[in-house]
Amino acid sequence: MIRSLRVRLMLAAALLALLFMLALLPALQKAFSMALQESIEQRLASDVTTLISAARIEHGQLQMPELLPDERYNLPYTGLMGYIFDRQGNQVWRSRATTDRNINYHPRYDGRGNEFARIRQDDGEEFFVYDVEVKLLGGKNAAYSIVALQPVREYQDTINGLREKLYLGFGAALLALMVLLWAGLTWGLRSLRRLSLELDEVETGARDGLSREHPRELLRLTGSLNRLLHSEREQRQRYRDSLDDLAHSLKTPLAVLQGVGESMGQGSGEREQARVLQSQIERMSQQIDYQLQRASLRKSGLVRHRVQLKPLLDSLCSTLAKVYRDKRVAVDVDVPEHAQVPMEQGALLELLGNLLENAYRLCLGQVRVSLQETPGHLVLCVEDDGPGVPADQRERILQRGERLDRQHPGQGIGLAVVKDIIDSYDAHLSLDDSPLGGAAFRIIFNLD
Amino acid sequence: MKLLVVEDEALLRHHLFTRLSETGHVVQAVANAEEALYQVEEYHFDLAVVDLGLPGMSGLDLIRQLRNQGKSFPILILTARGNWQDKVEGLAAGADDYVVKPFQFEELEARLNALLRRSSGFTQSTIAAGPLVLDLNRKQATLDEQPLALTAYEYRILEYLMRHHQQVVAKDRLMEQLYPDDEERDPNVIEVLVGRLRRKLEGEHGFKPIDTVRGLGYLFTERCR
Repeated sequence: MIRSLRVRLMLAAALLALLFMLALLPALQKAFSMALQESIEQRLASDVTTLISAARIEHGQLQMPELLPDERYNLPYTGLMGYIFDRQGNQVWRSRATTDRNINYHPRYDGRGNEFARIRQDDGEEFFVYDVEVKLLGGKNAAYSIVALQPVREYQDTINGLREKLYLGFGAALLALMVLLWAGLTWGLRSLRRLSLELDEVETGARDGLSREHPRELLRLTGSLNRLLHSEREQRQRYRDSLDDLAHSLKTPLAVLQGVGESMGQGSGEREQARVLQSQIERMSQQIDYQLQRASLRKSGLVRHRVQLKPLLDSLCSTLAKVYRDKRVAVDVDVPEHAQVPMEQGALLELLGNLLENAYRLCLGQVRVSLQETPGHLVLCVEDDGPGVPADQRERILQRGERLDRQHPGQGIGLAVVKDIIDSYDAHLSLDDSPLGGAAFRIIFNLD
Repeated sequence: MKLLVVEDEALLRHHLFTRLSETGHVVQAVANAEEALYQVEEYHFDLAVVDLGLPGMSGLDLIRQLRNQGKSFPILILTARGNWQDKVEGLAAGADDYVVKPFQFEELEARLNALLRRSSGFTQSTIAAGPLVLDLNRKQATLDEQPLALTAYEYRILEYLMRHHQQVVAKDRLMEQLYPDDEERDPNVIEVLVGRLRRKLEGEHGFKPIDTVRGLGYLFTERCR
């Protein structure tokens, strides 16, 4: 199937033009040949008239002058031949131009006066014949058939020449038409190309919507797309705002409950109930965090986001450096200055925030973030020099809500959120040992 | 230490007020940013706990405004969503640490104490000045490795003076550490408390780290580590 609109239009136009020309060509040839034959007939008729006016009857015999007024009858190979036949069909005279050639022609004497015809000789040569029957010649009673002939060859040459010119002309016209059509389509389709460029910009996040500078025929489409983009963005924002409100309205009461639980725990009799209460509060809180983050951070449909990694890493590292100030963590960021990652800003921030916080919390004093581009893949690696994760527990800690270090209360769903974000972007998360001595989390993005 | 708590949810505000007061801090708890700005304008605080989701002016704007006014006390943010966007923005605006709701009070307390230690230049949980050692977690002072029997008020004054060692501390500042409300304040009480504290520190070995700077306040003369 031909996928290009331009090629389709070109092919259709070329086919149409070709059919049109194929139909036109025989009609033109026919018209021309009829006109040509008519002019030949008229000329031969006038040539016969020359012969008639030159003929005389003397003593009952036909007398023709030695030289005829029309030079073409007198010179050989002029192509114009004159013959006179008597009533019995015997040739009684022929012009010099016939170069003594006999012609196989039998006048019909059918009383019609004159006749224009095309005859073929035994050697295959064809002639146009104009035959005039005369009964009275020079006032005397005599019946002759006066015939002028012209070879068809010349006529055929003219027709062939014309056909050649027609083919050439039509070919050139077709070519010119194609060139003009190509130029016209390029001009016409430029607006579609501009639309496609604008869509690219929308997808990469460089522009919010499509411009209004498009042909009228496309404005409905671009208008609809803009409305769709706008409503998707609005809906996403509204969705996030609602989730924020939901988080705030659910978690603040939980914080109050947590406080109540702690107060209960101080009383000696209710320590067990307080413990149950607190563990349930923590579970609810983790579920809220997980589901809310999951809902708000999954990949969006239309826009293909790309985020510059370096500035985002810098802001996260300065945040964590402030929080873990006492630890004096040495961070090595090995990321090219303008490197981009195919994710949405918010999702990448959560992803790296969770991984980096783990690294900062568990490291002895060194954290490394690096980005490597391999053919078709982008590998983002976060490593630390902490205790690492034993091989048999690696799969488990990537599962939802699972965490190894239960001494640090609070953000227990970090890795589950990380895994969920990565899955929604069709990326892959792996966990193994780092040369630094601790854990190495690798996120592998497909660049296709 | 004098703490400012900015939290719009009344129950949580009350809980924080009660628990922080119990751990020996003087707490001023307010419901919105405007009140917080007023309090900061009027009084000296050693630390603020700010909820990000405040009605009206947001917690983030409050932090920015406080830093713009040149207030340098540590700020700990409370966030409900616990997403990194909030944490990064909060810390970039000038906060020093974050705690995600719901939290265990012990975690909040540990973070607060770490911030307080850091702000007074101490990274350990003890402050030592010669034979005197203060355990900030246990709120216990020892002199020559012997526990010193101090009342809660005496301990607060000693801790505040040691945190601001080799600086003159005004009596008003010390009073703010003891009483959250203006009407209860009586300058004589400070003089009485400092006098008792001096006698306890002097003990048998004659350790005299607290000087009076006439008309200005008190000075802890020993170098603290």
